[in-house]
Amino acid sequence: MKNIKRMTQAELAAFVQSHLQTKGIRVVLSGGAAVAIYTKGRYVSADIDLVDVSFVNRKKFIDAMNEIGFHEKNRYFIHPDTKHIIEFPPGPLSIGDEPVRKINEIKYSTGSLRVISETDCVKDRLAAYYYWDDQQSLEQAVLVAKYNQINLSEIVSWSETTGNMIKFKKFQNKLSLLTSE
Amino acid sequence: MLEPLLGSKSSEKVLIFIEALGEGYPREIARFFGIGLTPVQKQMDKLELGGILVSFVKGKTRMYSFNPRYVFLAELKGILNKALNFYPPEEKEKLLLNRRRPRRRGKGL
Repeated sequence: MKNIKRMTQAELAAFVQSHLQTKGIRVVLSGGAAVAIYTKGRYVSADIDLVDVSFVNRKKFIDAMNEIGFHEKNRYFIHPDTKHIIEFPPGPLSIGDEPVRKINEIKYSTGSLRVISETDCVKDRLAAYYYWDDQQSLEQAVLVAKYNQINLSEIVSWSETTGNMIKFKKFQNKLSLLTSE
Repeated sequence: MLEPLLGSKSSEKVLIFIEALGEGYPREIARFFGIGLTPVQKQMDKLELGGILVSFVKGKTRMYSFNPRYVFLAELKGILNKALNFYPPEEKEKLLLNRRRPRRRGKGL
């Protein structure tokens, strides 16, 4: 097994996820680390958000993470050999009001990684832009959309339902500008 | 009123306050209801960890509001609104009339 110090972010996420799985804890990668995977490193994030989809208590997470050398600090888990910070946002795994149904599974030498789909990754970033006007999230959504096959009509109807078509148009404009470059 | 459902009185006070005013910080909520600061802080921390609240730093204060991404937010707000209707009229009025509009520095309250 590769040393934690040498693991990439995705390898580390897969390693932690596979370890948790052996303890009966199921998690799915979301957030900035999913963006980093889908943009092949064009976006960098130190955070690894693993959404808890088995609804276990915090103590179970702490015990399982301690076993692989991580310890809790201010709600996050850190390890002396890596700069990556692991967080377990509470489930259910959802974007807006909708449950996330499609999960991709990617194999690494360190384990198997369950991650939200490319389309959900775009929606996840757009949600932050829609709710908080976060420009960084908009940029990330555009990057993921540019480098992946996404279901744009699903994003359109979700944006319509949530009343965010004006902001969606801005996303679409940025995306066409980037793809025409 | 919602204590059996929410598990604690402080949790109810925090959520009711934020529902009525849109945002709040621990000291303000504790002072408003005349309850201890520590249980309020503890509950707000728990609610943030649970994804129900989010916090932002405004000046020197960490302000809390509902997490718009919380999947049960509409349902939770429905319950809180109903509970607010059953609050003692003077407390409800005090909550809803709590000043949030600007007031120039130095001007008497």
